[in-house]
Amino acid sequence: MSIYSTAVKKPVTTALIFVAVVILGLYSLSRLSIDLLPKIDMNMIMVMTAYPGSSAADVEMNVSKPLENTLNSVSNLKNISSQSRENISVITLEFEYGSDTDVATNDVRDKLEMVKSYLPDGAESPVIFKFGTDDIPILMLSVTAEESTNALYKILDDKVANPLARINGVGAVSVSGTPIRELQVYCDPYKLEAYGQTIESISAVIAQENRNTPGGVIDIGSNTYSLRVQGEFTEVNQLLDLVVGSRDNKTVYLRDVAYVRDYVEERAQETYNNGTRGGMIIIQKQSGANSVEIAKKVYEKLPEIQASLPSDVQLGIIMDTSENIVHTIDSLVETVIATFLIVMLVVLAFLRRWRATFIIVLTIPISLVASFAYLLASGNTLNIVSMSSLSLAIGMVVDDAIVVLENITKHIERGSSPKQAAIHATNEVGLAVMASTLTILAVFLPFTMVTSGIAGIMFRQLGWIVTIVISISLISALTLTPMLCSQMLRLNPKKGKLYIFLFTPVERALDWLDGAYARLVNWGVRHRKTVITGAALIFIGSLFLTPTIKTEFFPTQDNANISVNIELPIGTGQNITRELAQRINTEFCANYPEIKMTNHSEGQASTDNTFAQMSSSGTHIIEFYISLYSVGERFEKSGSNRGLSEICELMRKDLEKYTEIKRFEVLAGGGGGMMGGEATVDVEIYGFDFSETDIIAGEIAQRLRDNKNVSQVTVSREDYIPEYQIDFDREKLAVNGLNVTTASMYMRNRINGSVASLYREDGDEYNIRVRYAPQFRQSLDDIENILIYNNAGQGIRIRELGQVVEHMTPPTIERKNRERVITVSAIAAEGAALSDIVDAANTEMRSLGIPPEIGWQLAGTYQDQQETFSDLGLLMLLIIILVFIVMAAQFESLTDPFVIMFSIPFAFVGVILGLSITQTPLGVMALIGVIMLIGIVVKNGIVLIDYTILCRERGMSIITACVAAGKSRLRPVLMTSLSTVLGMLPLALGTGEGAEMWRAMGMTVAWGLTISTLITLVIVPVVYCVFAANGLKRKRKKIKKLAVLMNYNTIK
Amino acid sequence: MKAVFITFNQAYYDAILSIMDRSAIRGYTYWEDVQGRGSKTGLPHYGTHAWPTKNSAIFVVVEDEKVAVFLDSLHKLDLKTEAQGLRAFVWSIEQLI
Repeated sequence: MSIYSTAVKKPVTTALIFVAVVILGLYSLSRLSIDLLPKIDMNMIMVMTAYPGSSAADVEMNVSKPLENTLNSVSNLKNISSQSRENISVITLEFEYGSDTDVATNDVRDKLEMVKSYLPDGAESPVIFKFGTDDIPILMLSVTAEESTNALYKILDDKVANPLARINGVGAVSVSGTPIRELQVYCDPYKLEAYGQTIESISAVIAQENRNTPGGVIDIGSNTYSLRVQGEFTEVNQLLDLVVGSRDNKTVYLRDVAYVRDYVEERAQETYNNGTRGGMIIIQKQSGANSVEIAKKVYEKLPEIQASLPSDVQLGIIMDTSENIVHTIDSLVETVIATFLIVMLVVLAFLRRWRATFIIVLTIPISLVASFAYLLASGNTLNIVSMSSLSLAIGMVVDDAIVVLENITKHIERGSSPKQAAIHATNEVGLAVMASTLTILAVFLPFTMVTSGIAGIMFRQLGWIVTIVISISLISALTLTPMLCSQMLRLNPKKGKLYIFLFTPVERALDWLDGAYARLVNWGVRHRKTVITGAALIFIGSLFLTPTIKTEFFPTQDNANISVNIELPIGTGQNITRELAQRINTEFCANYPEIKMTNHSEGQASTDNTFAQMSSSGTHIIEFYISLYSVGERFEKSGSNRGLSEICELMRKDLEKYTEIKRFEVLAGGGGGMMGGEATVDVEIYGFDFSETDIIAGEIAQRLRDNKNVSQVTVSREDYIPEYQIDFDREKLAVNGLNVTTASMYMRNRINGSVASLYREDGDEYNIRVRYAPQFRQSLDDIENILIYNNAGQGIRIRELGQVVEHMTPPTIERKNRERVITVSAIAAEGAALSDIVDAANTEMRSLGIPPEIGWQLAGTYQDQQETFSDLGLLMLLIIILVFIVMAAQFESLTDPFVIMFSIPFAFVGVILGLSITQTPLGVMALIGVIMLIGIVVKNGIVLIDYTILCRERGMSIITACVAAGKSRLRPVLMTSLSTVLGMLPLALGTGEGAEMWRAMGMTVAWGLTISTLITLVIVPVVYCVFAANGLKRKRKKIKKLAVLMNYNTIK
Repeated sequence: MKAVFITFNQAYYDAILSIMDRSAIRGYTYWEDVQGRGSKTGLPHYGTHAWPTKNSAIFVVVEDEKVAVFLDSLHKLDLKTEAQGLRAFVWSIEQLI
């Protein structure tokens, strides 16, 4: 017994099985978490090796080079780059997407073990550091305080950071911008000298005094007591009364030579929220945790935390990555619903029966919901890729059900009972339905096999979802649809007034269309040469439009976040930086009403701030995080509706006006992601000689800056950095019984200070730092006057031992793939595409006349784009071959699929036309659209040719068969095409948050399918006629030959 | 006794069985899949790509007096939906065991 007759005969079982599928799907849906993109394992490993006391060039030669040479052989390695700075070498290994980072880390560790013995003696062991998308902060909270400013760090650390860190999934929580308490012992060098004390002796005394010591256990009588000395300071003032030594039989107290300040660290990163001083709390997630869920949990916890804080401390949100994710997915859900409604209307218009429409539309939720079970089982999330796959699939899942239902209706009209009709009609078309579904699968299954690159991660999910949805829709079309038809369809149901009112015009229009189309095909098959030449001309004509099409990788997504890095000349004082930052902040807030919140920090970050360690900080660096109103509410809230790129562009113009800024970067999208951010073209210039490559980089950067398509250019190599160095004279040191280490330690303890001990209070520890008071370290004289004591107790001043000189330190040496490199990156201006900059960079570089020993190449987003495009190109070829094979098997012929393939070039015509007219750049998303088109377009051809062949088998002549088939199949073709094209419209016209991502895909499919359907409807019957007529002629010739032969035989 | 041989579009199966039940005809022989085409207007029923419908056949042996009523009911069924196709042929049974 076949599957459909079982289904029809057991309606209860069938219905309940599908109910179970839906329940399973809905259950999965309730458990699914949402995210922006499928999980992408980041592919970076950093190896850091410290080599203290060496210059950048030393580090490059002795550490970076040997490490690079060894690590280069790790498998799956894509790029290896290194930064050699003074004292440290950082090697970054970039692996192919999708390769297992754990395996890679082990490989790297093994290689490091091998090379360790070749590293110079002074070099420390290399440290492996994995860097991933997980390290990007998911949430930044702002903190503003008035009275509590100085105690803010402790308050935030205890009451905010700790409770937040306890939330499941939260990784590091860092507090930044709030000063940390420190006890400073500020010494007066003259008094120290007078009393014969040094910073070192004071530090030692403090360390020795501030100690608790357990003294063991003592038995007194029958009792046992433990013995302790509680020497630790319980109050800050105790420090002042410490005896630090004696002079002329008089006791010297600490208060005689120094004063103690219980305050905050001298140099700290300062953070401003909306221009007012405060702090920032940065929340990172544990690797693999879900951002949206964590953000939700944090939000739940916040009111509780806020209640426990002092009343003047207010928490706010600076940046929330989950907000954008939730909005994006919400707008996709709306798109899916809109698509569903549109498809339903199309089906209703063509079938004109409520019940039939219901049966067909029911397939949509069932197949879609089933894919949620897959997502849950495979550990995926609801993200852009999975949701837009669903939106795509909606238009296609109804096709099978439509074919089955149409045939059942035909049987019922012929007089079968619905039950019998359901079984027999399904039996008749079952094979054809399966075959056409196979063609769609032939398009989407290869997607699941793309393994390399970022494309692999994106498309694997798309491939699986469409495959599963289409398979479920096939099963449903063969079981549920016939079952429902047998239960619900009636012969000639009564037509209500509403029905007549609504559908009579539709019916008339469709009848007219049938007739017109039949006449067109009739004319076409009789003027084959004209039609084919015309079609060829259209195709060639569209090729002329290709140069107008721009390309990109992924569109910039408006996630309402901007980050700005501003660098002033090195050594700029914090007060100047602070003042400038405030000025810029005020200007931004005045110019851009779209801004919801600004946050900026300047100054040197403390070492225990994990997040700040990843970016550079210093007194000359300002970092801005700006969040705008999200796309949906931007216009209402600000009365202005500028896009993210446009605002970034304007900000760059604003910043250019500040002459004191050395360089700046404005990054759309917060700079966090590799997708959705602004596309960059990197010109990598390889060459050993610094000055030569510097000149070329400077020249190309200048030329690119002048290009109107480029909005920002940055050069990776920094300038020489000015600093003071003390050149000790070794001979003089030796004469005085000193060495460089001792002398430099003395210098460091006086300027930077030495952390003598820790002061404990309420379970927290604070540094006790001993150093010169600020007024004694303000000039070069102060440094030269530092007294250094030797073992003999003689004090010698630094000026006697060496010179303080100003030096220029060479910048970081960057290498990529074992060669010195300098990178010039350019960001596209508003309205310009990646390809514009690529062209500009190529022409400029060629015109520069670069010497042969210097190599260059384009990298950055452009490289990713090239790789992905070539992957997709290969995929397209594979898919075309597979589709051909499936069709050839279905028709058991090689010519018929070939005829059908003629519709593919016209899909490209539509795509080219669409992209060119709407000025949409061709990116990865558009390319996916093109690939999908192949399957959908071919399906139309199959429907047409299949029926033409059927007509010929029924004995019609070629031309009559073409016309009859065209007339009868026009409606199914139009119905499936219209449901797909109109189903794409919500995607193509979407304006919701994140819509930039899939707009190109919807656009491509809608244009391509519209044009190709229109042309296919004419060209396929005509080409079929040509091939069939040739086949017929050959057959006739053969018969003639045979006849001649036979006649010859009879004569003989 | 007469033999009645009915060939019909598969979709008629249930209807024919119910006619037989109503006419108190019990015994029959049934071929589920048979192919053929009508002599004048009947379309082919081949179960192929071009002609996907299929026929079935029932062979019934009935008492002489029942034949007329039975054939009449079958003819009514055929007239109701002529496009489906139903034919019955009657001949005499000479002997049976």
